[in-house]
Amino acid sequence: MITLTDFLIVSAALFCIGLYMTVSKRNAIQILIGIELILNAAILNLVAFGKYDKVNNSGQIFALFAIVLAAATTAVALAIILNVYRRYKTIDPNDITKLRD
Amino acid sequence: MDTFLHAIQSLNYTVAAVVLPLLAALVNFCLPVKSKAAGWISTIAILLSCVLSARVFATIWNNPQVHAQRIWFTIGQTQVYAGILLNNLSVLMLLLVSVIALPVHIYSTAYMKHDERYSRYFTYLSFFCFSMLALVVVDSLILFYAFWELVGFSSYLLIGFWFTKDKAVKANKKAFIMNRVGDIGLLSAIIILFAQFHTFDIDTIFGQNGLAHLMGIQDGKWTLIPNHLPDSVGSVWGRGTITALPALWQYVACAGIFLAVAAKSAQFPLHTWLPDAMEGPTSVSALIHAATMVAAGVFLLGRVYPMFIETELTILACIGCFTAFMAATIALTQNDLKRILAYSTISQLGFMILAMGVGAYASSLFHLATHAFFKCLLFLVAGIVIHQMQHIKDDNNLDIDPQDISHMGGLRKKLPLTFITAVIAALALIGLPLTSGYLSKDGILIQAFEWSDGRNAWFKIIPVMALITSWLTAFYVARLIFKVFFGEFRLLKDNPDIKPHLGDGGWPYTLPLILLAVCCLFPLFSFNPLAYEHAWLFEGLKTSARHAGEGVYHSLIPISVNVISLLLLFAAYRIYTRESRLPFPQKGFFYRLSYNQWYIDNLYKRAIVNPVLRLGSVCFWIDRNIIDGFLHLLTRISGSIAKLAAWTDEYIVDGFLHLLAAIVQSIGNFARKFQSGKVQYYLFSMLVIVLLLFILKILI
Repeated sequence: MITLTDFLIVSAALFCIGLYMTVSKRNAIQILIGIELILNAAILNLVAFGKYDKVNNSGQIFALFAIVLAAATTAVALAIILNVYRRYKTIDPNDITKLRD
Repeated sequence: MDTFLHAIQSLNYTVAAVVLPLLAALVNFCLPVKSKAAGWISTIAILLSCVLSARVFATIWNNPQVHAQRIWFTIGQTQVYAGILLNNLSVLMLLLVSVIALPVHIYSTAYMKHDERYSRYFTYLSFFCFSMLALVVVDSLILFYAFWELVGFSSYLLIGFWFTKDKAVKANKKAFIMNRVGDIGLLSAIIILFAQFHTFDIDTIFGQNGLAHLMGIQDGKWTLIPNHLPDSVGSVWGRGTITALPALWQYVACAGIFLAVAAKSAQFPLHTWLPDAMEGPTSVSALIHAATMVAAGVFLLGRVYPMFIETELTILACIGCFTAFMAATIALTQNDLKRILAYSTISQLGFMILAMGVGAYASSLFHLATHAFFKCLLFLVAGIVIHQMQHIKDDNNLDIDPQDISHMGGLRKKLPLTFITAVIAALALIGLPLTSGYLSKDGILIQAFEWSDGRNAWFKIIPVMALITSWLTAFYVARLIFKVFFGEFRLLKDNPDIKPHLGDGGWPYTLPLILLAVCCLFPLFSFNPLAYEHAWLFEGLKTSARHAGEGVYHSLIPISVNVISLLLLFAAYRIYTRESRLPFPQKGFFYRLSYNQWYIDNLYKRAIVNPVLRLGSVCFWIDRNIIDGFLHLLTRISGSIAKLAAWTDEYIVDGFLHLLAAIVQSIGNFARKFQSGKVQYYLFSMLVIVLLLFILKILI
């Protein structure tokens, strides 16, 4: 039987992988993928904890809502990356240090 | 009314006579240095002064005195008057100074002809005449003091006229410094007199009914002596009030006046400047250092005579006598022509002071007048002789001192007029009959003997010394004349190849000589060539009616003086013209004493000059090392304090601030490192911190 703990372990693993990708990848797309992984970890948690919800299926709904939002933000993020690429001819975040003091 | 007008006229003439030389001096001062007009401007000024003085003299002499004054300034309640006092004494001096100055001016126009600073010379000479003429007529002690100083100052200028000569500079410094000693005496005397009499007016204090006549020493106080009070005292009374000072102050005042007299008239302790003053031009020596300025001291004595008391007069006589004797002995062995004359001047001034001391007031001033003529003449003669010797020296490039009489001789044939006038002056100086010197000098000797008669036997020393001095005078004058004018020309003997061209010179040289020579003879002063009492000058100055009796001295003294003088003249003639042998050992104690001028200069050098110099160098050392050292120490201390402060400022205060800045900067740099602009790095940092917080939370 699949328990809550298993979900949470998967979720934590996803989260850690996502976080690791976000911190270490040299490609903005891959970082974006990492962020999606973190988001999915959070959504998985939402779904998993939805078991305790008094209202029916609110966890799933909220997960759907978050997925939509994630899709929207991904689109925005891809657009930003596209613009960054146009401007800097690279999408390696280590090379884009305009924010430095 | 008539006398009043005469008085006004005399005063105007006097002022004109005094101011004319000053105007000449001012005009000459503005002229170019080499301008030949200067001589004539000065000469004309002094000629006019002379004429005016003669007018004044004719009006005032033996008439009541003329005294005019006005308020000069007021300090508090004290009104100080300035004015002119003309009495027999001052008009005599006025005439004497201008009459002596006139031939000297004429002589100077020729004598100084080739000098670089011809007009300066006449500026100084006229300025001197102005000071001296003013000195004799002013009525206030303050003005007297001022002109006394000016006389000293112009003498200083003229002694150092050839200031490129080191000796002249030394001589004028010496004269000035020694005169300052006397000036201090005069100044303190004036201050004491003012404290006593509350007035500076010479007439009120020393005049005929002056306060000084009424004063005396009583019970240790210098105060009024009641039985001195004459009946007509009222007029004097209103003008000054008298306080009784302790007697000490009277002595101090007299000592001060004596000091002033000694400095100006070259008396014993302060006489050494006069021989050195001969470094000036000879015409200056003739006017200032023989005839007029040195007489200022005697004149001062004549002005303040009433204030001296018996004992002080005796001291005066002793000092005069000693000076006369000492100077005469020195004059015996000197070889410098002008130096001999200078010591002779000191000796004759000693006679005048002696005469003042023994109460022969009139004789003293009489001798002053006669001495002025013949000593001036002797100096002018000396000037001509020195001038000629200088010419020989320059023409032949000889290495001789033109003033040394041992080179001269036989000049009577080359300079006949000079010779004749010199002989007349010499005879007057010796005091032989038919000359003016006889009248005045024998007067002094006779009165000195009469004075000592009524006293202790010891007092006889003074007139006897004076008598010996007059014999010594005869000898040294004879030595001078014989060595210069008789025998053969010694310079020619030593250097046979030179051809001297000598001559008396033009009229500017001869005219003054003739004028002065005439004044050296008796008719100018008395129609009776043998009795001094009948000289008009003597009668005019006599203070009391005390008529010298027909004492035994009256025939004894002149005879002894003249007979022995003539013997000495003969002896000198034998010794110096035949030159058979030297009369005296040249290395005995007395010779050396006399040749070295009694070692007084050496004594002063050792006792005063060297200690003063040493004191000066000690002061210099103290100044250099202690005062400057202290200051340097202070400088160094404050310098090091400043350095310390600078170090503190730089390393501690600034260091603290720099440290702060460095800390802030390093913190900033440390913080800045995080702002690398790498997004992932930010994220990573955030993760680390959050994790750390969690770990800390778990641990605590």
